[in-house]
Amino acid sequence: MTENIYKPDLMEVMSIRRETADVKSVRLRFRDEARARAFSFRVGQFGIFSAFGYGESVFNICSSSNWRDRIEFCFRRVGRVTEALWDLEEGDTVGFRGPYGNSYPMEEWEGRNLIFLGGGIAMPPIRCAVWYALENRQKYGDITVVYGARTVGDLVFTGELAEWARRDRVRVVQCVDPGGETPDWKGEIGFVPTVFERAQVPAGNAAALVIGPPIMIKNTLPVLDRMGIPPSAVYTSLENRMKCGVGKCGRCNAGSMYVCKEGPVFTMEAVARLPMDY
Amino acid sequence: MSEIVTEGGLRELAGAWLAGGKRLAGPCRVKADRVFYRAVTAPGELLLASCRPDNSIKEFFFPRHEKLYGYRLTGNGVELFDTEEATGAQLVFAGRPCDAAALPVLDHVFNWDFPDRFYLQRREATTVVTFACVDADEHCFCTSLGLAPGAVRGSDALLVAAGDGAFEVRVLTEKGRALFAGRTVVSDKQGRVAAPPPVRFDAAAAGAFARDRFEDPFWRTHTLACLGCGACAYTCPTCHCFDIADEGAGSTGHRVRNWDSCQFDMFTLHASGHNPRAGQAARQRQRIYHKFHVYPEKFGAILCTGCGNCGRNCPAGLGVLPLVTEIDDGKHLQA
Repeated sequence: MTENIYKPDLMEVMSIRRETADVKSVRLRFRDEARARAFSFRVGQFGIFSAFGYGESVFNICSSSNWRDRIEFCFRRVGRVTEALWDLEEGDTVGFRGPYGNSYPMEEWEGRNLIFLGGGIAMPPIRCAVWYALENRQKYGDITVVYGARTVGDLVFTGELAEWARRDRVRVVQCVDPGGETPDWKGEIGFVPTVFERAQVPAGNAAALVIGPPIMIKNTLPVLDRMGIPPSAVYTSLENRMKCGVGKCGRCNAGSMYVCKEGPVFTMEAVARLPMDY
Repeated sequence: MSEIVTEGGLRELAGAWLAGGKRLAGPCRVKADRVFYRAVTAPGELLLASCRPDNSIKEFFFPRHEKLYGYRLTGNGVELFDTEEATGAQLVFAGRPCDAAALPVLDHVFNWDFPDRFYLQRREATTVVTFACVDADEHCFCTSLGLAPGAVRGSDALLVAAGDGAFEVRVLTEKGRALFAGRTVVSDKQGRVAAPPPVRFDAAAAGAFARDRFEDPFWRTHTLACLGCGACAYTCPTCHCFDIADEGAGSTGHRVRNWDSCQFDMFTLHASGHNPRAGQAARQRQRIYHKFHVYPEKFGAILCTGCGNCGRNCPAGLGVLPLVTEIDDGKHLQA
């Protein structure tokens, strides 16, 4: 009989890290050892994570695909499922379906300078690609990360941002919205698009990954354009609401794309061809 | 010459089917002016004639509520268990061909890349016997989708009324042959199919309009009456969107799927509060856009059979036919 495509794998919570007042990241491993050995994914793909009794939610797998013993996801506490995930403790069980969707073209990006632009809770889907690039350091040129959040307290993965900044040929620029700074804030103050433009990142032979709220993406694109980075070299990950993840339930359509199947990763050139349905 | 079965013969067939412990569904007169498709336990419940039920036969393949599997919490572990899946043989009487014609169209989405065993098992186990239409009403537009009152797509056998409570049996598949083996008599009676309703619009033009005129004010001006009730989607034989949720109490429950509709405001609502389809016009547009552009582009089939249920059941006078004929009358197609 055909397998039940809706039935998840069971995963054990290895550890939980509280990133901000309402964001946590969770590290998981498969309960089934054979499944753990067989599992692989590509950075940029997503999973459907579940708290039994509450339901499923879709998150990017925010760990590097080189980390064979675990996967990680990160979420903000905003609804029924994430409230339940918030109460997880080490040793608890969650459901996982995936990996689903397409991925970042990490091979295509080899030999190029990488620019990562993220806003708020969009750092996790960038983080997996940054770690992947750092673990294959010789294959990529300069790496720039510009990351902003509303306030200092809303920045996630701050320890890792500091660690990246110490690496060779990596520049990390952090910013918070005006008014979101603290007295000891040493990063920039301003919105991601303006901070990015001020940072004067060399644009030659660059590929950019831009993920964040629609307004951030909208205002960042003209900056990239002025820098001479063509839309075909600018990537994003769409976040249309999904339920099934396997091209059936019908809600992630944008244009004639099933975002769960043909996405979530698109070039801005492809996004520009989509109707405003995302 | 033709093979004939009487209404009484059909009831005997249905009774024998039930006696074999198998599942049976078809049109039932639930009120004087209401016919619904329902699962039945006695052949007498069935309305065995050409008719236009308010719902469609899709629910016998893709139920409105379905358990996908069960979960049981054990300490900090979880056990998952399969639920009983209705996999046994099923016989469905379709009151009209446009209901059965939806099945091969739905097969595409439930079968691509990740086969959906719940749907596919039922498809495999089900025999569909269809009554050819004897008339059409003002909502019917099957001919605009390349179908007809005697269309055979998706049916295992077609029954064509031949007068005096008799039906000409046109066997179409092996399943149909097996069902009617030994139950027909040879006769010189001939079935008569209804005259086809007029072609009301050009489906390809509707798809092109939805694709090219996505931002056209047409969508807003022509869908203002929509209440967002979802009756169109729920009674549509091809609409197949669903939600997945958990239903349980205490330490055990089920993950289930329920029908959903692109007409509901929460359908595309993001956790952030952003909603790509923020108004009802965008949702009505999606219904046309998906049926006439997305699905054909993806799967090579239009996601509509012209049954007219959306128009017949809409409390606001909308539906595919009223909207698309507005598009296709030409005035909205000019650049």
